[in-house]
Amino acid sequence: MESALNAIFDVLSFGAIIVLVVLGLGVIASMMGIFNFAHGEFVLLGAYTTYLVHSAGLPVWAGMLAAPFVVAAFGLVIERLVIRRFYAAPIAAMVGTYALGLVIRESVRGLIGGLYLFVPEPIVGSLSIAGVQVSQWRLAIVIITALVMVGSYLLLTRTSFGLRVRAALENPSLARASGISTSAIYAITFAFGAALAGLAGALVVPVFSLFADLGIRFLIQGFLAVMLGGVGTFEGPVAGGAAIGVMSAALPWAVAPVLADVLVFVIAIVFVKLRPGGLIAGGRV
Amino acid sequence: MDHGNADRGAAPTMSRRRLLQRAAWTAGAIATGVGSWVIRPDWASAAEPIKVGIATDLTGAIGYAGNANANVARMLVKDINDAGGILGRPITLLIEDTASNESVAVGNVRKLIQRDKVDVVLGGITSSMRNAIKDAIVARGKTLYIYPELYEGGECTPYLFCTGPTPAQQCDEFIPWLIKNGAKRFALPAANYVWPHKLNEYARKVIERSGGEVIFEEYYPLDQVEYSATVNKIMTNKVDMVFTTVISPGVGPFFKQLYEAGYAKRGGKLACVYYDEDTLNINAPHEIEGLASCLDYFRAVIHDDPASARIQAEYDKQFPGKILLSAGSGATGMYRGLKLWEAAVKEAGNLDRDAVAAALDHAKISEGPGGPAEMVPGKRHCKMKMYTAVAKGGNYDIVARSDGLVDPKTC
Repeated sequence: MESALNAIFDVLSFGAIIVLVVLGLGVIASMMGIFNFAHGEFVLLGAYTTYLVHSAGLPVWAGMLAAPFVVAAFGLVIERLVIRRFYAAPIAAMVGTYALGLVIRESVRGLIGGLYLFVPEPIVGSLSIAGVQVSQWRLAIVIITALVMVGSYLLLTRTSFGLRVRAALENPSLARASGISTSAIYAITFAFGAALAGLAGALVVPVFSLFADLGIRFLIQGFLAVMLGGVGTFEGPVAGGAAIGVMSAALPWAVAPVLADVLVFVIAIVFVKLRPGGLIAGGRV
Repeated sequence: MDHGNADRGAAPTMSRRRLLQRAAWTAGAIATGVGSWVIRPDWASAAEPIKVGIATDLTGAIGYAGNANANVARMLVKDINDAGGILGRPITLLIEDTASNESVAVGNVRKLIQRDKVDVVLGGITSSMRNAIKDAIVARGKTLYIYPELYEGGECTPYLFCTGPTPAQQCDEFIPWLIKNGAKRFALPAANYVWPHKLNEYARKVIERSGGEVIFEEYYPLDQVEYSATVNKIMTNKVDMVFTTVISPGVGPFFKQLYEAGYAKRGGKLACVYYDEDTLNINAPHEIEGLASCLDYFRAVIHDDPASARIQAEYDKQFPGKILLSAGSGATGMYRGLKLWEAAVKEAGNLDRDAVAAALDHAKISEGPGGPAEMVPGKRHCKMKMYTAVAKGGNYDIVARSDGLVDPKTC
């Protein structure tokens, strides 16, 4: 019983981590049709910002607050300089963003000397709930992920900004004719996706420590999640992220870990074969 | 790249002059090698300099380790040159980047062998790297190769000398010490590649011989970062010694999850035989408090051994910063390798490969990081002192030392 509860919490918390990482990727893929291969490195930048702020002697949470804004600003600059040239060529965008990611990753590797560095949690320790040891920080991540998810959903579906984003995506010429600056909307959406990545990096860095390959570790799982969930909606990638995260954490309880790693991919591919649109197929948000 | 807004609107053609310029530049870059360094002696001699080649991972995932290796080589070659070189000849150091990437490495190592015609190559950190480059050096290159990193043992290629510890050296003293200090029920969680498999195979024998028990031995994908299932297995099976060879990036999250599950609180202990000063910063100190490791050198050895203290001080003076002189990166093996090779060349009196190999076969050094070392004749592996250390508040305390030099027991 205790062990089952333990399993449920651990699986849930890893699911939340993957959802958090996938969220920004999904927003950019679904809203803009761009597969951002530098997304993992945006996550890394969020983590690195947190580390920098902390090593400057400020509290960790200050770094976590700063990270989304720093990464959003970076994303905005990148969108203006690079990404906007790629909207007409999604394949080139993949290669271009991959190259961008490589530059960021190797720069950070140089800056941290290729080492693995720990960043403390703002909330240390574990709670004992019904005899189960629950890491307080992992619990915080679950809660923050839920809040961010709901917030992002409301922003995109219930505000006039969200309406303009969807309009710019669905019919750019009509949107422009109606006085919406699609170019500005794209820039803001990209920056928003980058901010989500930055936040994800800031929140997970205490769990995984800071290292240059932190982002690329999640990139493949992230794309798998988007593929599994389906592009074009907000909920799709989120559901896909949850499914991938839960499977990655749950399967090693049942089968040998080396096999579990492969099984996640097999299950996802078989699923997509049977249901090409993904978990939540169809229209836009 | 120099194209930018100026080019916009122009036809996408390239003038012949620019093409030639670029081709020349590219060819130059390829020929000299972007990742190549040549460090010439600062004194000239009538005799040709001796060429020492270093092939190590200066960039990529394990760049921190490769840079430590290169630093040690720079420090030693400078020392040797300042003292008049070897056989009256100065040493030129040639460093090539193997970039944590075997296919890049082979090309760069060939440069050392074919273009530079080095007299010896030292380097390689992972076993896969050693396997990728050894043929180019030893068989086709007809050159001596010295491999500095701790590894799984069993590399018995002629002209290939290993100066890092083997599983026997890391387990024979260490595991009995763990058991004497209360460990009984061992778990062996490990990364799924050759070194953990071979190390565990050896460790299991020593554990069972010494009165311990292996509760489970399990392998994980190299990049796994979520270990809740493993932690649960450890907690429910009342394991009291986690002897792990999980590597980064997984090892940090693994130790954290273990700590958070209350493993340390319940008296559980950790052991990890590649843990050195570089890996101390992966976790908060309290998460790995009491972790035991067994290596040929720890910084704390400077309190035992004046020679180690001198070497460490010299290294810190020349290379202050994040790249540490540490055993887990192979930097101490690099020190032994170069010094043993120097002794062998002096004995041989020339640089003929067979003569140097014959002398290296029984070469000895009286000083090095961690103490003296000597090659085991006929085995091409190195006897050395081994130390057991325990992490305490973010540093290591030496808690046990081998009586003499420990035998590598391989080949």
